[in-house]
Amino acid sequence: MAGYKNIVNGDIRLMLGVLLLAVATHSPAKPGDAEQGEQIYSRRCVLCHSDEGDGLGPAAERLNPPPRDFTAGIYKIKTTGFDDMAPADEDIFRMIRDGMPGTAMPEWADVLSEQEIWDLVAYVKTFAGYEGEEPGEQLDYGEQIPSSPESIEKGKALYHDQDRCSECHGKDGKGNAVKRLKDDNGDRTWPRNQTKPWTFRASNDPKDIFTRITTGIPGTQMTSFAKPSSEKRLSIEERWHIANYVQSLAKIEQVVRAENTVVKAEKIDDDLPDSPDDPRWQATQPTTFFLVPQIIAKQRFFTPSNDTITVRALYSDTELAILLEWDDRTKSIPGNKLAEKISDADIGEDAVAIQLPIEIHDSMEKPYFGMGDANNPVNIWHWHSGTTETTEGISLLNSKGFKEIEKRDAATIGIHAKGLYTEGTWRVVMKRSLTTAESDKDLQFVSGKFIPIAFAAWDGSNSEKGSRHTMTTWYWLLLKPATGAKPIIAALLVIVVIFALLFFWARSRQPHRG
Amino acid sequence: MKIPRLLQAVLVLLGVYFGFILLFDVILKQVIPSSLLNMYMFFVVAGVFMVFTFTEEGAKELLAPIKALVEDPNNKTNRNIVFIILPLLGGAYTYNKLLPSFDAPVELRTIHPAPPASLKAYGKRYDILNLENPYRKFEKEDPERFKELIAEGGAVYIRNCQYCHGDKLDGKGPYAQGLNPMPMNFQDVGTIAQLQESYLFWRIASGGPGLPKEASPWISSMPVWQDFLSEEEIWKVILYLYDYTGHRPRTWGEE
Repeated sequence: MAGYKNIVNGDIRLMLGVLLLAVATHSPAKPGDAEQGEQIYSRRCVLCHSDEGDGLGPAAERLNPPPRDFTAGIYKIKTTGFDDMAPADEDIFRMIRDGMPGTAMPEWADVLSEQEIWDLVAYVKTFAGYEGEEPGEQLDYGEQIPSSPESIEKGKALYHDQDRCSECHGKDGKGNAVKRLKDDNGDRTWPRNQTKPWTFRASNDPKDIFTRITTGIPGTQMTSFAKPSSEKRLSIEERWHIANYVQSLAKIEQVVRAENTVVKAEKIDDDLPDSPDDPRWQATQPTTFFLVPQIIAKQRFFTPSNDTITVRALYSDTELAILLEWDDRTKSIPGNKLAEKISDADIGEDAVAIQLPIEIHDSMEKPYFGMGDANNPVNIWHWHSGTTETTEGISLLNSKGFKEIEKRDAATIGIHAKGLYTEGTWRVVMKRSLTTAESDKDLQFVSGKFIPIAFAAWDGSNSEKGSRHTMTTWYWLLLKPATGAKPIIAALLVIVVIFALLFFWARSRQPHRG
Repeated sequence: MKIPRLLQAVLVLLGVYFGFILLFDVILKQVIPSSLLNMYMFFVVAGVFMVFTFTEEGAKELLAPIKALVEDPNNKTNRNIVFIILPLLGGAYTYNKLLPSFDAPVELRTIHPAPPASLKAYGKRYDILNLENPYRKFEKEDPERFKELIAEGGAVYIRNCQYCHGDKLDGKGPYAQGLNPMPMNFQDVGTIAQLQESYLFWRIASGGPGLPKEASPWISSMPVWQDFLSEEEIWKVILYLYDYTGHRPRTWGEE
């Protein structure tokens, strides 16, 4: 259900959405009944958006982004012009119907009828006193320029010209911040990582991207690039080029696919790569997993910034190497002035960890996925990025749950790691010999066996330290065994036997010659 | 034009095969396991064969094209082609079957394991068999108070549970996709509608680590809620779960 399928579904939904929107924009929005809407609101919306519509429900401080404050009347996703504060009814309708990916706002189309959603639209508007207002004018889309290599090329140039978009979204669009952004309430916001279209609140259809560039995202530092007063103003045509370029940034190969639960390590005869940018990694199969915040044990952590991790692995006769790759908008270096300026107070190092059971049971039993349990200890390889004083390093932990942790010397066991940060992405290689001297304390890697493996990551600029981090559940690591000659020999045998049978059958049925 | 009987049989088999796939994978959105499909198809093939060979004439007609291919000297070219393709297909099938599988092992777990007789939580021992929601009685005695309790339960839910179980209690919260097993869908008639409130209290208070072995406690992401919530908060959130979904908790049936 996750990942690529989602995008496909998203596309279908989007097409339906665009279709519906097209219909909706031609016929005026259906009149909703605010009184009916209030009934639905008090049952479905009130826990997040609150009775008063100010978004200060009981979970507000645990949600990032926070629930919308309807009383302010500011809507991020709208199709009216930049000088028009009120959104179109269809904008509110769409956000309720489809929800907002990457937030706690779900789609309501499966629960509420269209009429009920219109009723809600009518009620929600009353919080800002929009109920009597004439609908704002729709922004001017001009004529859409379809995506093409030329258009994308033009868009790319405009994106980087005067550091127009790259100022916040980074050179490669990963939202790698060079400055700290906040919204009108003073809450921290992050520039969108445009290589992850499944986190776009609306969608990555060029029309939606065009809309964001044109109206900006009200209430945030994403400004309108159509405003005549803007020094970096863009014509309609130029905005379509940028929209096409942004859409082209999607990293489709790093979409999470629910069916991919196994990291498959291929065997190579040479020495394993030490460095994350070794070209041999390109030939390996990436597997991407969701990272979710640690909300299970104390201290629970609700506002993560990392959301996926991509894993590759290789092994040789003696060693295993794992490459971990994840987008992190900030290189967090404690002691570094610039890094501390972008960071939340109390900056920490960026970090990543691999968790492995020490023993693989023949039964299904595994250690508890949160750092093991009393009967089933785990190995944790914990890499940290370093400060201005210390270099990067890796530590080895043996743990039996959150509280019983033994620190061991990674170097003696032969675990090595090397990290590299480029343009909003960390890549870290971890290596260990397949076997170690202490088989009761370290997992011994064997090819052909499914080995449980889990991951965790820390963004040091996002107050992530200790138990405040993102993590995955158990997945699998498989050192792919050599296939051997058995299948090919058996196949040849079958071919010969079938052919012989057919041959003798046919022969026995032919009239005898000569 | 009459369709040859052999082709008819083959078309029927293909029709049934893709019919199954259409029905299960596309319409019901439940991918049919290949072992089950193979079993169904075994019976279908046997049935089709029996129907098509019911009379001797029919059987002859069915096998005529095969007979002609093997016996008729004029069919030499076709025969040679078939005799090369068939062994190759057999070889390819064998090869693929014998390649080691790199699919993740299937792990089955009990979703609603039997509860223990008693539960230790909050420094007390609860007898699960006779445990009742202390607030349930207000449903009849004091509906106003009952409504307040549900609202308080809702606040507990949205602060603590929706991240996984979702705003709509459908098990599709913002972090659900990163978890395995997936969070429980309370809207489904197969979950809380089948359970007693005491069962929910046990599951919430002791969380994933409190599950018995057959339910794979090591992968459940359910926190041990007695570490975070008071006893009262758990009972209130249970009221909310039933109220929002419209389900009724199961009881011992005296009502």
